[in-house]
Amino acid sequence: MNTKKKGMTLIEKQRMSGWFFLAPASIMIAVMSFYPMIRAFILSLQTGTGVNMKFTGFSNYQRILADKVFIQSIGNTFFYLIIQVPIMLVLAILLAQLLNNQHLRFKGLFRTCVFLPCATSLVSYAIIFRSLFAQDGLVNSVLVNLHILPQAYNFLGNALSARIVIIIALIWRWTGYNMVFYLSGLQNIEYSVYEAAKIDGANGWKTFWGITVPLLRPTIIMTFIMSINGTLQLFDESVNLTKGGPANASITMSHYIYNTCFVNVPNFGYASAMSFIVFIMVAILAFINLKVGDTRD
Amino acid sequence: MKKKVISMLLAGAMVLSLAACGGGSSDSGSSGGGAAAADSGSSGGGAAAAADSGSSGGSGTKLTIWTWDQSFNIAAMNTAIEMYKADHPDFDAEVIETPSEDCETKLTTCANSGDYSTMADIVLMQDNSYQKFLASYPDAFTDLSDIGIDWSQFPELKQSYSMVGDQHFGVPFDNGAVIGCYRTDILEEAGYTIDDLTDITWTRFMEIGQDVFAKTGKYLLSSEASGGDTLLMMIFSCGAGVVDADGNPYIVDNEAVKACVDIYVQMIKNNVVLLVNSWDDYIKSITTGQTAGIVNGNWITGTLMSTEDQAGKWEITTMPRVDGVATATNYANNGGSSWYITSNCKDVALAKDFLLNTFGNNTDFYDAILPTTGAIACYLPAAETEAYNAPSEYFNGQPIFATIVEYSGHIPAYNRTPYHYESRTALNTAVQQIVDGADPATALQEAQDTLAFNMGQ
Repeated sequence: MNTKKKGMTLIEKQRMSGWFFLAPASIMIAVMSFYPMIRAFILSLQTGTGVNMKFTGFSNYQRILADKVFIQSIGNTFFYLIIQVPIMLVLAILLAQLLNNQHLRFKGLFRTCVFLPCATSLVSYAIIFRSLFAQDGLVNSVLVNLHILPQAYNFLGNALSARIVIIIALIWRWTGYNMVFYLSGLQNIEYSVYEAAKIDGANGWKTFWGITVPLLRPTIIMTFIMSINGTLQLFDESVNLTKGGPANASITMSHYIYNTCFVNVPNFGYASAMSFIVFIMVAILAFINLKVGDTRD
Repeated sequence: MKKKVISMLLAGAMVLSLAACGGGSSDSGSSGGGAAAADSGSSGGGAAAAADSGSSGGSGTKLTIWTWDQSFNIAAMNTAIEMYKADHPDFDAEVIETPSEDCETKLTTCANSGDYSTMADIVLMQDNSYQKFLASYPDAFTDLSDIGIDWSQFPELKQSYSMVGDQHFGVPFDNGAVIGCYRTDILEEAGYTIDDLTDITWTRFMEIGQDVFAKTGKYLLSSEASGGDTLLMMIFSCGAGVVDADGNPYIVDNEAVKACVDIYVQMIKNNVVLLVNSWDDYIKSITTGQTAGIVNGNWITGTLMSTEDQAGKWEITTMPRVDGVATATNYANNGGSSWYITSNCKDVALAKDFLLNTFGNNTDFYDAILPTTGAIACYLPAAETEAYNAPSEYFNGQPIFATIVEYSGHIPAYNRTPYHYESRTALNTAVQQIVDGADPATALQEAQDTLAFNMGQ
């Protein structure tokens, strides 16, 4: 009894201070993320326009199954995901490998150049890409003047090319960002490991697959999760670059959700239900990714 | 050391440029009420930094107003404020430039949180958006039925956009009568005059357009691919809508819609209509001379007149009519906007009095804004004044204002729907699909299904 009254033991004190440091971030996450998630879920069980909402159970989720545009937007988003993420990450890893070369001069300059696109705002770069690929934009005039194209091509007016433009834009914007993670990962790999490999007669390709990739594994997984997460929530490019067009061929899930709230007659219940589907997709993909990348057997 | 110096310099430059941004915006903020701050030292305008609605106390109420176009409705509103201030020295109001989309997004956000305290007192809204917001957020609006405006002095069609039953929720501002606007120099090159395009059908329009394209390489019309209004204007000019009288989607069996889609698709395929991807591209296609014509609400003249090197080359006339539809006319309405008083208004009586004595019944006011903004009144008595019959230099001496007011008297009514933007997207999507080779019947069926889906819960 007496000892307890004296106060906490050293270990208890340490635990307390641990909780003390954890508390601010945890409370913030709970208030800013978990609470809205719960509210969004409750909202997704209601339906109606504007403020005239009433509970209807899971009708919004049933509605999703019949929503052709949303299903198309899922298709579009996965199209971006499947094509863009691998290209971008491979490029990022190759660039990181190149720029990690100890004998390379002006390393800082090159690294800055590759990273620089990330400093531009999403909206402005999307608008710049839109004007680059406009019918009288830079890309068209270059291609026409080089006689590669007979006449200007409406890149953003055709389904496939509009999607490809979005992918190109995404690669431009995000490769440098991922490269920075790989660079920092590479710098944690002891140079002596490479030297040992060299002595054993491994060539560059073998070193890359035998040393770099396995040792970078945690970083690769992290960038994968972040990229998947980011692509599933893709919004600015779809809104500003293509406006979801032509004929919804490039609309993303987030863009459609936004339209449901702010462009069309507002239906927040349905929009929340769709957001929840996106949330579940992100969670599942991240989970698979973690399992695949788990080195502990 | 060197690095340190460089980073200090960079940081310094950044801070300075940020500060410059802040300075810039505060400049433009006060410039709206620039004249106000100058003459009324007592109004506490000195504490301009507190431009938020919280600073309302003190000497009388300061109304805040959201609207979006510097050369158009902001200029008109500023004129209104000055004129009203001449009679009411205590009056103070501030216009805050807010894009139309932002006005709507803010309203949506406020309404959903149930807290309107961040809304302005008076906000301008697109007529096409009214029904959707009136149905969704009825508590965001103030009933203006008792404002004292003689509603018979405004066209019924215009009023109906912002009405629910007999209740009024908007003070009409600009006129949305559709005009056809053509570059006479390009037409001449192809051997046509403005008369050849007056009161014609779309079929004739297409013939001329193909000829113009063959001779000059220019399109006769441009339209936005997914957000364009052209198709809807064609449909509305037939007195037809995309919904039936009960508000249900009415596309597949609607002869007018089918005829419009058919001719519109043909025009796209035959290089008469250029489909562009965004509003910027639309404006660019006009200002760079890529297209020789415009069919749009007459508010487009405001944008047009900013292209000074094309002055004297443009002339206006009626829009083409759809052939093969009995109810077809050469007249339609597109856009236009009205002012509403939000439920957050601090002084409803003052706001009502202000709108009544400017936009509501003041021909002097409409005459004053006409030459500077080109904003054509919906207030019918305004059209009888001299200012409206003055020739416009930009349009080759045509008295465009009186002409447009005349057009607005012929516009047929049609079945409106809160799902205006959904129907526009659905129809434009169908057009894209048909142009890309889809079967028209299937594409229109899909458009109808999409619209019906959007209307469902």
